[in-house]
Amino acid sequence: MPRIFAALAATALALSTGAARAGPNDVLRMFNWNNYMTEEAVTRFEARCNCRLAQDYYSDNEEMLAKLAAGARGYDLLVPTGNAVEALIKSDQLRPLDKSKIPNLKNIKPQHLNPWFDPGNVYSVPYAYSLTIVGYNVERMRELGLPTDSLAVIFDPQYLRKVERKVTVLDSQRELFAAALKYLGYSANESGEAKLKQARDLILRAKPYWAAFNAASYFKELTVGNVWLAHGYSNDFFTAQQDARNAGRKFSIGFSIPKEGAVFALDNLVMHKSGKRPDLAYQFIDFWLEGRASAELTNAIGAGSPNQAAMPLIDPQIAANEAIFPGPEKFRQLEMLRDYDRRLRRTLSRLWVEIKVR
Amino acid sequence: MFLVVFFLLPALIMVVASLRYPGEFGGLAPLVSTRPGEEAGLTLESYRVFFSDWVYFEIFAKSFGVAVLTTLVCLLMAYPVAALIARSPKRYRDMMVLLVVLPFASNFLVRVYAWMIMLGPFELLFSRFAVICGMVYVHLPFMILPLYTNLEKHDPALLDAAQDLGANAWQRFWRVTFPLSLPGVFSGSALVFIPVLGMFAIPEILGGKDDWIVGNMIKESFLGTRDWPFGSMLSLMLTLAVLAVAAAASWLAGRRMSRA
Amino acid sequence: MRKLALGIEALAIAVLFGSFLASGGKLLLAGAAAALLALAGVLGLAGKRREMPGFWLWFVSLLAYAFLYIPLVIVVIFSFNDSKLNAEWVGFTTAWYLKLFSDEDMLRAALNSLSIACGAAAIATVLGTMAGLSMHRFKPKLLPFLVFTPVAMPEILLGVSLLIFFLNSVSPALGALGIDFGLGLTTVVIAHVTFCIGFVAIIVRARLAGMDESIFEAARDLGATPWQTFRLVTLPLIMPGVIAGALMAFTLSIDDFVITFFTSGVGTKTLPLEIYTMIKVAVTPEVNAVSALLMALTLGMIMIAAKLAPDLMQAKT
Repeated sequence: MPRIFAALAATALALSTGAARAGPNDVLRMFNWNNYMTEEAVTRFEARCNCRLAQDYYSDNEEMLAKLAAGARGYDLLVPTGNAVEALIKSDQLRPLDKSKIPNLKNIKPQHLNPWFDPGNVYSVPYAYSLTIVGYNVERMRELGLPTDSLAVIFDPQYLRKVERKVTVLDSQRELFAAALKYLGYSANESGEAKLKQARDLILRAKPYWAAFNAASYFKELTVGNVWLAHGYSNDFFTAQQDARNAGRKFSIGFSIPKEGAVFALDNLVMHKSGKRPDLAYQFIDFWLEGRASAELTNAIGAGSPNQAAMPLIDPQIAANEAIFPGPEKFRQLEMLRDYDRRLRRTLSRLWVEIKVR
Repeated sequence: MFLVVFFLLPALIMVVASLRYPGEFGGLAPLVSTRPGEEAGLTLESYRVFFSDWVYFEIFAKSFGVAVLTTLVCLLMAYPVAALIARSPKRYRDMMVLLVVLPFASNFLVRVYAWMIMLGPFELLFSRFAVICGMVYVHLPFMILPLYTNLEKHDPALLDAAQDLGANAWQRFWRVTFPLSLPGVFSGSALVFIPVLGMFAIPEILGGKDDWIVGNMIKESFLGTRDWPFGSMLSLMLTLAVLAVAAAASWLAGRRMSRA
Repeated sequence: MRKLALGIEALAIAVLFGSFLASGGKLLLAGAAAALLALAGVLGLAGKRREMPGFWLWFVSLLAYAFLYIPLVIVVIFSFNDSKLNAEWVGFTTAWYLKLFSDEDMLRAALNSLSIACGAAAIATVLGTMAGLSMHRFKPKLLPFLVFTPVAMPEILLGVSLLIFFLNSVSPALGALGIDFGLGLTTVVIAHVTFCIGFVAIIVRARLAGMDESIFEAARDLGATPWQTFRLVTLPLIMPGVIAGALMAFTLSIDDFVITFFTSGVGTKTLPLEIYTMIKVAVTPEVNAVSALLMALTLGMIMIAAKLAPDLMQAKT
């Protein structure tokens, strides 16, 4: 049997090396979220730079940060969210950008420039964004007469009673605490322990009515109809909405920004110091900022585009969706998450454990 | 057995690496930390937090409960399968073993999603039941294979002898087959029990609001709180607890076998 | 009496995972259960001799096999699902297979996974078998600890510590010798071998437990060299354990995400890396398609291997 395995390994290895693309030698290495770029965009870019775009994937900023923290090297480009950009800057892992090589930076909407984590965009340019909001089964919400424009539906037992065990909230301490803090009228980045404990109590009061803490599969259940209300990401709700529509289900999925405000996650292109091909990285950044690739991504997965030049190419229905492209009024209510310091992280994690156990 | 050295090498890599991290990870403070803490102080702090709080103990207890339940269900399901394979004609045996393992060539995530599709319509998703189902499903071969391996070597003559001595079917099983299969039962149980404790994906996907186990907490420490010292401490605690259970089990087994 | 015991057990299992089937009251599933029952009856009655397994054994085993295969059937069916989210049946399409065949990254990842799994399983089986044997023969104090620890250690910890070890110790050490050692397929295989060895060793030891030492002594007395003893006596005796261990290592390796994520190099693709990271967007039926394909491929390769070298598959006991 071991010999069989060895034989199998040899065959498979031969096959896999045979299958390896015999393309150009120039390779741009990118560490990105999976499915965060359309195939059309990849093909176009490869044709233009006469190089190969090799992407490795992560599903969470923390995975990427952990791997880099342990010493992984060799990525030209990363696509971290704002708070992770800050972490990377502070640990001195990023290469400052030469703006003269990215003329298309002018396409970025002014509201997304000069972010708190990187004043003056020294290291980063915006890639795409998502919002942490509330998604729901439109018909069910109407039947039950529940509001869909407020975080009250996921925190107030008065409403929760009607959707008991049909609600999921994100399995993420920062996101859930941010929602609870927002509902209580505080900042999503509140650092006072008393206020955090208040948020914990709010969560514990609502918990008996929830079905699960879930960040991995809630939107599947939403689109099937097993879950009626969820705290989650705009991209996910967009996908769920599309799926419910394509499948011709009897209900539809809606999502909206709660009036209390929401968390805004801006993903950015940054260049890692260990990258070997900054030249190709610059080419890619400028390519991405042209707008077409960004528009394709928005049309495909409902990610928000920070690019003005992308807007005309975006499906008008999506462009008009306030929960993906909020107007200036709504935009002011959005807040980006900032990393807590070590002490506060421990405090929060302690509260989180309590929430999970009680 | 000079080749043992070749085995020791990777194992040593492992052990050396595992011994390194309390210091390393404490020194390698989380990315955003502003002041570099002292290693020793940091490590001890994690332990202090752990031991001064019942919450963590509760999670450990719950996780052991889930693991015990999973192991028992696996054992109940696996024993007949293993026995059947062991008693089938030789030419079918390997095929039957292969059939046990084949589903596992498909991706874990897709299989768990298949469970979601099955459990969803019955309102059983996001429950303890769903977690146990998923756990049993993922770990069943780890019980079947060692059991089969053990049962396969039993000499049928022993059972004949027992029958000649007047033992009925139940007695033959309980007094002869089962005691002889104990090493298989123990290794199978170890191979199910231990990985279940460290598992986080199944509670994450299938579990409800109360199905957090140690595996989740450890993952959260590394990839949520970026608190490597705490995560390492939890892992070490878990490993120690598991080794203690394993040692206790093998001691009991040794006693039982020396009596038999 | 034994039938009764098995019957009770069948009942217990039926209650456990039948409770949700029953609660839905789906006729189809009831039909499937009846078919199982009938099949078990036929197979059970077919065996007239006492050594042949009886009805209840067949029944419970078939139930367990069904438990293993029902989700698999869903995986395969849903690979033809015309839906991006793949949460419920929408319509029939072969589009995902077509997409898969043009998706070089996914195919390469599948092949990589397969070769890593086979390689890691082969190495871990050899090393694990030796570990199991020496644990049985020499009863060393430290070895069981070395073997058990990687099994008991949470995978994130193992992944992170191996990564740090590779980058900070192995790489500079080999670099000093003029060898360029970076993360890649090799490191993934080493990492997989590390945690698979324990599983193999445990299973091999379970096989050896209680085995009569005198067989080996007899072989030696008859003038066999240690190698001959191993080759002609020990190995055939432990073969089923070795096979089971190899299969287990294979399944562990082919499905591993966490450890692979940390120990893989830039551009190393494996199937779990491609699939798990999709969780944030949507795990499409393409993944079901590649899973179905991989299973077919695995089965096919083993069948061919079994045809070409039937003696390798035989458990010589």
